[in-house]
Amino acid sequence: MPRILMKGNEAIAEAALRAGATNYFCYPITPQTEVAEYLAHRMPEVGGVFLQAESEIAVGNILFGAASTGKRVFTSSSSPGISLMQEAISYMAGAHLPCVIVNIMRGGPGLGGILPAQSDYFQATKGGGHGDYRLLVLAPSTIQEAVDLTMQAFYLADKYRNPVMVIGDGMIGQMMEPVEFPEKYEEPPLPPKDWACTGARGREPHIIKSLFLDPLALEKNNLLLYQKYEKMKAEEVRFELYKTKTENKILIVSYGTMARICQTAIDELETESISVGLFRPITLFPYPEKELYAEAARKNIKTVLVIEMSIGQMVEDVERVVRGIKPIKFFGRTGGVVPSPEEAKEQIKELLKKEAGTRKRKTRKG
Amino acid sequence: MAGEAYRFRLPTFSKNIITIVGGYGSGKSEIAVNLARYLKLNQSEPVVIADLDIINPYFRSREASRELANLGIKSLIPEGENFYAELPIIIPEIKTAIERGEGKLILDIGGDETGARVLSSLSDAFTPGQYELLLVLNARRPFTSDLAGCQKMLADIEAASRLKFSGLISNSHLMDETDPDTVLQGLELANKVSRKTNLPVVFISMTTDIMDKIEPRLIDLPVLALDRSLLKPWERKKVSGKNK
Repeated sequence: MPRILMKGNEAIAEAALRAGATNYFCYPITPQTEVAEYLAHRMPEVGGVFLQAESEIAVGNILFGAASTGKRVFTSSSSPGISLMQEAISYMAGAHLPCVIVNIMRGGPGLGGILPAQSDYFQATKGGGHGDYRLLVLAPSTIQEAVDLTMQAFYLADKYRNPVMVIGDGMIGQMMEPVEFPEKYEEPPLPPKDWACTGARGREPHIIKSLFLDPLALEKNNLLLYQKYEKMKAEEVRFELYKTKTENKILIVSYGTMARICQTAIDELETESISVGLFRPITLFPYPEKELYAEAARKNIKTVLVIEMSIGQMVEDVERVVRGIKPIKFFGRTGGVVPSPEEAKEQIKELLKKEAGTRKRKTRKG
Repeated sequence: MAGEAYRFRLPTFSKNIITIVGGYGSGKSEIAVNLARYLKLNQSEPVVIADLDIINPYFRSREASRELANLGIKSLIPEGENFYAELPIIIPEIKTAIERGEGKLILDIGGDETGARVLSSLSDAFTPGQYELLLVLNARRPFTSDLAGCQKMLADIEAASRLKFSGLISNSHLMDETDPDTVLQGLELANKVSRKTNLPVVFISMTTDIMDKIEPRLIDLPVLALDRSLLKPWERKKVSGKNK
């Protein structure tokens, strides 16, 4: 198949179809509405279900019901819409239901704005809904990666019987890039969905619920969830390194399209003989803990610089992981303001200047 | 024209109103911005650009309004907070400008028939035969990659806009991965659409780095050189100074 030019939202929609997800429920919201628009066009062609509900609350509950049948189901929305779905997401996690949720983030809180943001990191990785549950969270930084991760999201949702979130800042949804879809979609084998509600004739009914009145039964269910999250931590961590070298003094941690802005900054600093590396988490949960620790612990690294399109959210995970072994600095813009490569370069240069100053003082004393 | 010799024919326009429509991602806004710049530098009439994209939230021609203002090109765009909105805001100056038909007025319209619908509310301001309605074609976009898709796009936009097409713009591209073949294969499709519909290909557009790689004898059409203005936050502007 030749490479074609696609908007992120369209590419995510097409990727879902190719992963066999033909049940889509939605309520429109900028900047992700093109997912719905594209699927309104494509679903009839593949004999799938496209349903626009009366609200995101309804979408969440439709997902619960549809996922119970064992079919691949998904939705897409943007920040305020995702907030409305949180109750159903918690219910699906509690009931061990696979589902894919795409969040193309805009600036918040509240109705906020329509420009790109990464300020739903807490919501995606630390709950959002109530109870002892987690989502597996995938954060692409290119349209091709959005395609690949969306396809994998359906496999991972089935593997763990847990909701999976694909999270992108508004830029991921709105920008255009060339993409390629695999000729044939392949994934590792999955166990049969012997838990699904498919009609109980000739067998015991399957009951899918998140209500457990007996506290020991609820605790048992939560421990089962916990085991799944531990397995995710062992098997699903993804991240990428960019120009991490032994002469680097600064390690940047950034994800999504923010990481690409950092890459431009890194490339341009290289021409000024300033060498900086980037650690890009791809899974936000499970967070690449050991891997980030190892990179930050390298002797040459003096400071870890976290850059986000938020007022500081992922930085808390970096602090948790790096555990005080290296100083952590944060830079972010919020509300839909996207940090520029210049701003990133300025932050880096400032840190290097301070670092050189400290070294000088140390040498004098010594 | 200053600087190096332009190896291709330059586009010319006898009509004062140039309306740019097309599918999502065909490159309308980038063409509108570049066309405004080109007309400002190559003819004496005042140039005004109106951003009528009411469906896209990002990458709209209004993002280049400051750059254009520095060249003396006026942008008709919503002011204040509404600059950022993707709501159906049509400022009254646009209708007046269409009715007056003075200078060169470039109308940048949102994608697909959904975006073109904005024109139907303005259609009675247009004098029949006195405007260009140009469809931008990008053969590397999913719904305009063959003749049938392009014809459907033409029919849908014509119905939604209540205006008549006067020509085509061939703008096949894959962003940074565009090569001469992308452009030439796209032109082949545009020519096919042109033969089928009797609409002329008014010009072909491409970035200046691609222009340098194409033999002028392969293109018997005017070429608009594109210096990209609507960039992603990590992209850098390449300034070539062609078209000047």
